[in-house]
Amino acid sequence: MKKREPVNAFDIAAIIIVLAVAVFIAYALLSIVLGGLPFLPAAIASKEVRFAVGLSVYTASISTLLCVLLSVPSAYALTRTSMPLKKTIQIIMELPLSLPYLVLGLCLLIVFSSDLGKALRDMGFKVVFDKNGIILAQLIVNLPFAVKFMRTAMSEVDERLEFIAGTLGASRWTRFRTVLLPLCRQSVIAMVVLVWSRALGEFGATLMLVGVTRMKTETLPASIYLNISTGDNGMAMASAILIMIISAAAHTITTILNKKNRPLTRMRDTTT
Amino acid sequence: MTMPTIKISDFSLRKGSFQLSDISCDIYPQELFAILGKTGAGKTLLLESVAGYYAGLYGCIYLNGKSVLDIPLTERRIGFVYQDYGLFPHMTVEQNISYGLKMRRKNRSEIANEVSRMAELLSIEHILKQHPGTLSGGERQRTALARALVLSPDVLLLDEPFSALDPVTKKSLRNELLEIHNNFQCTIILVTHDFSEAQELAGRIGIMSNGRLKAVRHSDALFEPYEDENINQFLGLSK
Repeated sequence: MKKREPVNAFDIAAIIIVLAVAVFIAYALLSIVLGGLPFLPAAIASKEVRFAVGLSVYTASISTLLCVLLSVPSAYALTRTSMPLKKTIQIIMELPLSLPYLVLGLCLLIVFSSDLGKALRDMGFKVVFDKNGIILAQLIVNLPFAVKFMRTAMSEVDERLEFIAGTLGASRWTRFRTVLLPLCRQSVIAMVVLVWSRALGEFGATLMLVGVTRMKTETLPASIYLNISTGDNGMAMASAILIMIISAAAHTITTILNKKNRPLTRMRDTTT
Repeated sequence: MTMPTIKISDFSLRKGSFQLSDISCDIYPQELFAILGKTGAGKTLLLESVAGYYAGLYGCIYLNGKSVLDIPLTERRIGFVYQDYGLFPHMTVEQNISYGLKMRRKNRSEIANEVSRMAELLSIEHILKQHPGTLSGGERQRTALARALVLSPDVLLLDEPFSALDPVTKKSLRNELLEIHNNFQCTIILVTHDFSEAQELAGRIGIMSNGRLKAVRHSDALFEPYEDENINQFLGLSK
């Protein structure tokens, strides 16, 4: 059996730091849970909060679906094709990761307030101050994250496995479907869960694009903001508890799924 | 005169800081040709180039008279077995072997027959339902060979397939490879750094060093002195 080295000063310092961070996070979360718990039954019974939960789950689910549909092919193109300007396109795709969400929301507001936005509105697709805008705001915040996540996952799968599949007669699409995607399965599931819970908590870009209107564009984070604005801290904390419960459930699912053994996705490097 | 199955013509390739330079060689139908060289000599890179994984900087590699890159990957009729076998880790042994047959749209009974024939030939009937992660090196090697051979390829490319095996398994699989070569009548290129393996299995041996094919010899003449002192050193022929 492996014998551990005796604990040294560096280990002790690291343990103290992680404990301090964990205690702070637990204290912050507990303060909301303890403060909001008495208001939770009222919040669950409240029409506004129920609307906010419904709208959040609906928009997060649609934006997550769109995110998967856009990020998986994008990551494939960036890792498996010899497209021109690949590096530049990758930087453009992932640049929003380092931008504040308010800025992203502002970008969307400018785009959809322009003639393009007006044309879309005339065709019946309203974005600004509409729940379509919430979906788009969640999408623009999450898409760069999802592309980077999937690009990393696909880069970790050895391309030679797909090459072998090709020598066995599989077309590009079949190689993607039968080799690459199954080997990225756990990453896809983790990405879906993370993107969904991030979408659920998205506020900055949504605020810019659709504002915060009760029972219209009121997502759970918007509900917290509205309740705090009106001095109803109890209801704000109860809404926060609901987000925490949903996010914790999503996080638990990811952890359980990732616990399963990952299949080997890389072959030993035999370049020369 | 017989047309070579594989013709490597003044082939050069750059990958990072490594380069394959001016490689020319003809490999004939049903020949078992070994590429011998130290680790880092460029053997695997050359083998992958023969399969068309890399496009060369100069020169060309022909398969049955046609540039390998002009033949779609799915129609090259190549079987490739990597050093660590490259089995699909999410599929069972049976699914790995039947993968190519499904791609060829064989019907269910044909697939079942072919898989059991290959499994019997390579003595892997007992592991058909297992995943590669649970197999020994020898079992993986046999599975990879079965997957490649089940499609009766024209060319079988083997990248140090015996390097990770114990001596007993190595010996038995070498014998199996010779039987397979006789039964399947395919052209085989075997990459190895093991002199005895090359001499025992191959008719001709190409010796690589620093990205160049320095010499091609009949296996009987492998240990006769060379003009190139590096090869003499590699083969232990230097005085």
